[in-house]
Amino acid sequence: MTATKITVDPLTRVEGHLKFETRIENGVVASARTSGMLFRGIEKALIGYDPRTALQLTQRVCGVCPYAHAEAAALALENAMGIRPNANGQLLRNLIVGAYQVQDCLFHFYQLSALDFIDVTAVLEYRGADPGLTAMRDWVRAETRSQRIFPAAPFLPRYKGDFLKDREANLSAVHNYLESFTVMASLHKMVALFGGKSPHPVAIEAGGVTTRPTINNLAQYRTLLNQVERFVHSCYREDILAVAKAFPGYFKEGRGYGNFLSFPYFPDSSGKNHLFAGGATIVGRHTALDLNAITEDHTYSYYKNKSGAVKPLGANRLEPLDWQEFQREEQLPDGKYSWSRAPRYGGKVMETGAAARVVNTYHSGRNPALNRLVDQLNRDLGIGLKDYNSVLGRHLSRYITVSLLLKRLKEQVEQVQPGVLGFSEKEMPRNVKGIGITEASRGALGHWVEIDNKGLIKNYEMVMPTTWNMGPRDATGQPGAVEQMLIGTRIADPANPLELARIVRSADPCIACSVH
Amino acid sequence: MTITLDRRKFLQRIYQVVLAAGAAPLLSFEELLAAEANPSSVGWSRPDLVWLQGASCSGCSTSFLNVEQITILDFLTYFSRVLYHPNLSSATGTQVPQILNKLAAANKPYILILEGAIPVAMPHACMMAHKPISEWVNLLAAKASACIAVGTCAASGGVAKMAGTLTGAASLDDFLKQRGIKTPTVNLPACPMHPEHLVYTLLHFIKSKGLPDLDDARRPRQFFTHSVHERCPRYPAFQARDFALRIGEEGCLLELGCQGPVTYNDCVASGYNGNTNNCVRAGHPCIGCAGELFPRARLYHTHDDPAPAPGVIVKRS
Repeated sequence: MTATKITVDPLTRVEGHLKFETRIENGVVASARTSGMLFRGIEKALIGYDPRTALQLTQRVCGVCPYAHAEAAALALENAMGIRPNANGQLLRNLIVGAYQVQDCLFHFYQLSALDFIDVTAVLEYRGADPGLTAMRDWVRAETRSQRIFPAAPFLPRYKGDFLKDREANLSAVHNYLESFTVMASLHKMVALFGGKSPHPVAIEAGGVTTRPTINNLAQYRTLLNQVERFVHSCYREDILAVAKAFPGYFKEGRGYGNFLSFPYFPDSSGKNHLFAGGATIVGRHTALDLNAITEDHTYSYYKNKSGAVKPLGANRLEPLDWQEFQREEQLPDGKYSWSRAPRYGGKVMETGAAARVVNTYHSGRNPALNRLVDQLNRDLGIGLKDYNSVLGRHLSRYITVSLLLKRLKEQVEQVQPGVLGFSEKEMPRNVKGIGITEASRGALGHWVEIDNKGLIKNYEMVMPTTWNMGPRDATGQPGAVEQMLIGTRIADPANPLELARIVRSADPCIACSVH
Repeated sequence: MTITLDRRKFLQRIYQVVLAAGAAPLLSFEELLAAEANPSSVGWSRPDLVWLQGASCSGCSTSFLNVEQITILDFLTYFSRVLYHPNLSSATGTQVPQILNKLAAANKPYILILEGAIPVAMPHACMMAHKPISEWVNLLAAKASACIAVGTCAASGGVAKMAGTLTGAASLDDFLKQRGIKTPTVNLPACPMHPEHLVYTLLHFIKSKGLPDLDDARRPRQFFTHSVHERCPRYPAFQARDFALRIGEEGCLLELGCQGPVTYNDCVASGYNGNTNNCVRAGHPCIGCAGELFPRARLYHTHDDPAPAPGVIVKRS
């Protein structure tokens, strides 16, 4: 038996500083460790701040999905205050977060993941007249012939691997890769129209949205939405399906525990009747959501405090290891290895994200349009619901999310009443707690806030999608969700572990979020 | 299809980005054309760039991808050479330290762009390729022709340095001072950074081999001379002492905690996302995200909070 170790540090094209290590036996991953390597300590630093700062500051834990933190923080404060936004406030918030989630899914597919599947060097053979592809071809050709030390950066070097074989599909994907930057900028404009700016939209506050809608900004929103729709239904759909058909094996690779957690997401104007149902699917059985089942553990995380299962708001201080302790743990064979904590649901490891959202909503039966789309894709691709627990299942689920969101956004932009302020306010309550739950593009996101007798933050807790996915082992030694996804993977070439990179990226890790 | 091969059009766009950013043209359109025709004659050369993320949220990278007047393809292939960017590079794992070490050893000019702060008290709070990010910044900043701190975290600490954090996050300038590194720097605060500010700074570097005109905080005067308040569309209301006391009301937003008077940035003039909007236009008081005091323990007040006197800076608690 031959055993080797593969360490990937950093894993690029994810958000933040991520490292992972695998132990390979006979070409197959026997064990894995995923490590979040950035700690800022923003969550506990919020203690003593005005609770309304949480809307702005928790956005800054992540510049890729800030909107979800703004929404979760707003919901937590509204929960504490006992208020809801009016219809316009809810709709405008939806227009902001929905557009942003679509942007984030496109960002994940084109900028972060596509280069693992498509072959950018295919442009060298391009004979057509598309100006973007011609420019890219001439540039790659000149670069690869040059004596530069880093030719064709940032596209090379890369892991060697089995990229898409079909020339036309590659060229189309490269074209769409370039085009996607413009589409993403348009989606950020849609966010900015009501959010003020993007990233970090400022206008979501507890009580609604501060931007007064006008015929003008609603019309602009609708125009941009039409452009985005065209790209999504032609290019994005086509590229996702091309990858899915070319790499069917990836509907089996990257299987995790098969436990899926998601929160209710994207309500109607009354704040109810969500587009995506929440819940937990454990070994194929869907159950209603129980927020009391959530705990976090930090046995293998770089903190001094004694661990065990801690409920949200159960710890108001986390003492990070100092440099010496950190280095000592790094040397231990079974030492602490991540800044991320390890969330559990009734003690179980859960996967969060687009696949969890789709699987839970499907099982709940609450959105027939989702079930129809899933059934149709499953027939076309020859897969079943259990295959969503895979690399391609996660990518496909993002397309499903985007497709449903765009349709709903189109309906909701029509429901906004021009000129009517979608904002109301209330005095900051004292000695009260609040919970806000939503879905970031990366999955189930919860904010918990406790307000003291002066109306300031007494404690704050954020449990993030990536913490669920990328968290380390817990006190019982259970591997985290992505660690489990890596186990059992066959590696063709340990010097080019493209299979592992594809698996980890499919979970769309966001380290700045998960550790905060 | 928005990508273009027409260089004349491309240069026109660079020209537009400078104008859109509210900057006086650094070089005329004809000069740009001449530079394109004969790169060596006017010192035209694509700068090599390496982009690192310290204690950051990637928001400035994401914001950068919104740049409109220049396509990202043109940026990558014509305007500059991006040797490494954590969110764009295909290079993964050991390929990354190889690139960075080779670059540091090559003795060729390059510009280091830093996003995020540097945790000095806890070097292990931000690790990449088995080394603290502080060591990577130290290595690459010392050999760089210039460093650009993008965003408030890199420029002055930002949320990474907010009161109550433990990592001892330092801005790029403070870090270089501690290490005795003399490489010139430019600070481009704002949370997130405006993409136009970075394009302008790089263009200046291409044209003059030097940095733009900077203020005491090493920010381009072009963008950071005026406070948000001075150019605010609600300034007439301030002069008339007409203050909004609730969100949604007309009037100056000072009583709602607006940080406009103590925040220097051109965002009210040039807006965000291709001038689609900005915070004040969105009915929200400025939270001061480009300011050195960002973030304060109170960013937004309602009418029942004790309001500070207009213009008074509330120190971080």
